[in-house]
Amino acid sequence: MFDFLIEGFGVALTPLNLGLAFLGALLGTLFGALPGIGPINGIAILMPLAYTLGLPAESALILLAGIYTGAEYGGRMSSILLNVPGDAGAVMTTLDGHPLAKKGLAGPALGLSAVASFIGATIAIIGLTLFAPLLARVAVMFGPAEFFALMVFAFSSMSVMMGKDPIKTAIGAVLGVLIGTVGVDSGTGVMRYTFGMPELYDGIDFVVMIIGLFAISEILLMLEHAHRKDVDNELPPLGRVFVSLKEVLACKGTMLRSGVLGFIIGVLPGTGASVAGAVSYTTEKRLVDKDNTFGTGDMRGLAAPEAANNASAAGSFVPMLTLGIPGSGTTAVLLGALMLYNITPGPMMFSQNPEVAGGLIASLYIGNLVLLALNLPLAGVFAKVLTIPRWVLVPAIAVLSFVGVYQLHSDLTAIYLMLIIGVFGYLLRKLGFSLAPVILGYVLGGLMEENLRRALAISGGDTSILWQSGISLGLWIAAIALLVLPWLVPMLLKRRPSAQS
Amino acid sequence: MSLAADRCLGIALMGLAAFTAVNALSLEVPFSYDPVGPKAFPLGLSILLGLLSVVLVIRPGENGHWPDKRLALRLIGVLALLLVYALLFPRLGFAISSMLVIAALARLFEASWPKAIATGVLMAFGGQWLFTHGLGITLPGLPW
Repeated sequence: MFDFLIEGFGVALTPLNLGLAFLGALLGTLFGALPGIGPINGIAILMPLAYTLGLPAESALILLAGIYTGAEYGGRMSSILLNVPGDAGAVMTTLDGHPLAKKGLAGPALGLSAVASFIGATIAIIGLTLFAPLLARVAVMFGPAEFFALMVFAFSSMSVMMGKDPIKTAIGAVLGVLIGTVGVDSGTGVMRYTFGMPELYDGIDFVVMIIGLFAISEILLMLEHAHRKDVDNELPPLGRVFVSLKEVLACKGTMLRSGVLGFIIGVLPGTGASVAGAVSYTTEKRLVDKDNTFGTGDMRGLAAPEAANNASAAGSFVPMLTLGIPGSGTTAVLLGALMLYNITPGPMMFSQNPEVAGGLIASLYIGNLVLLALNLPLAGVFAKVLTIPRWVLVPAIAVLSFVGVYQLHSDLTAIYLMLIIGVFGYLLRKLGFSLAPVILGYVLGGLMEENLRRALAISGGDTSILWQSGISLGLWIAAIALLVLPWLVPMLLKRRPSAQS
Repeated sequence: MSLAADRCLGIALMGLAAFTAVNALSLEVPFSYDPVGPKAFPLGLSILLGLLSVVLVIRPGENGHWPDKRLALRLIGVLALLLVYALLFPRLGFAISSMLVIAALARLFEASWPKAIATGVLMAFGGQWLFTHGLGITLPGLPW
């Protein structure tokens, strides 16, 4: 049953892949530590470069996955030291992390959060190893109708769980899917929304899309904070650098619970690290916060979101590897990266490309150890990254973006398109949209349409095929329940006391 | 007025939905065995988008903080610079175009002149070396 893992370690332990796992962990921590640049931006910026290195698919994926998990580690730095979340997953980390730093315990806080991240990630990687092959076995039974239902479920779980505003999440996803429909229609050869421009016949290119959406919009957004002085220079003193065993043991229950919770949330399609952090923090607050110390620098309040967001990062690989449905915005980008290599993740991956699936999982074990080893002693060094001024950071992002896009498309249209998408992404972010649904819609939309049409081609146009099997019916019910319950439950709860009185 | 941004967005999205729908309907489909065709999916999306944008217009969220005039000018400045970069990139080559644009960008992000110029020179030539020797990427070379 675990043959794939043994093969995977064979792949991951080659010198090249070990080096890439290490490089990914290092780059990821650095990118995660930079304020504003989270895992998704880091991967967007570095992906085209990784692609041009001519690495085999499994090596590229190991590098990118290392960046992803590394960035989840690194995101905590600016949360703790500056009260500015390094990425969306680390928002809850500021609540207790920064008060700890103010108490002069920044060093132990960094150490503890590294340990919590490690434990959360370890739980989730073990979960991934156990559940992914099982889920893949179920997923083999999926036909186009089931896949279509699954994607409907993914989109509805995303609109409910992701972001503050479900309507905007849904709009973002629809916009993403619409962008994905540009280009020649694979079924009939009809051009859709190409406006007669030959550059658009192949659709809006994935690399152009992610670089524009994430890197260029980030540059524009950073301009707003260019003159914010509090971010730039003042780092609180780290204090003692190591966390004591006693402090770690005091948080062990929190870390274990949050790790499991984070894994489950990560597995749910469409919900990523930010949801995991928020849910685990509120859960732990309810469970262990007897003296109301959460929010004032409680170690447990720091350990909970850190264990959970790293666990969710590993958990989100489960649906991506087994079903081809990304569990988060970042895995959507990784999925797109795999498609550049003509590998479509899905249930067959464990049998057809075991070196990719197994190699990735094995490299997560290795990367996690590397990350702990890097992050415990070197926290102070990484913290220095926070003092990099924006006038260095922004040009560097711009150069990497241009070289990345120019590398793959040596024509100006691609670069213009990247800038247009960048402005579009900036406007969406200013309007309170999260970009993860857009990229998920863009990546999943094409698959969704393809599966819908394939299903209806099988049935000769009879739509009842979409909910005929037990699996798809269950997914439809789950999707509808997710959409309806958040409105229904509060209404029922409100009615009950009045009915009793 | 404070709710204007989301309302404008909602109206713009309705326009987009209508445009997608009209465009989808005008697609000419040659004979095929595909019972769905290329129209149905974009059409469904445009209906969904239309409905969602109606909700947005009726129940707009908070307006957020929009850039003031000074910031807006600098935003346009950054965009113009990136556009100039795109134009110069293949003509002047990587090193020179990057050097100019990096220095100007750094200035826009409030670096002093000496710092901006130093960043431009170091990053452009360092990057050139790193990309060509470290990553084996062929970049547009010098113009002469």
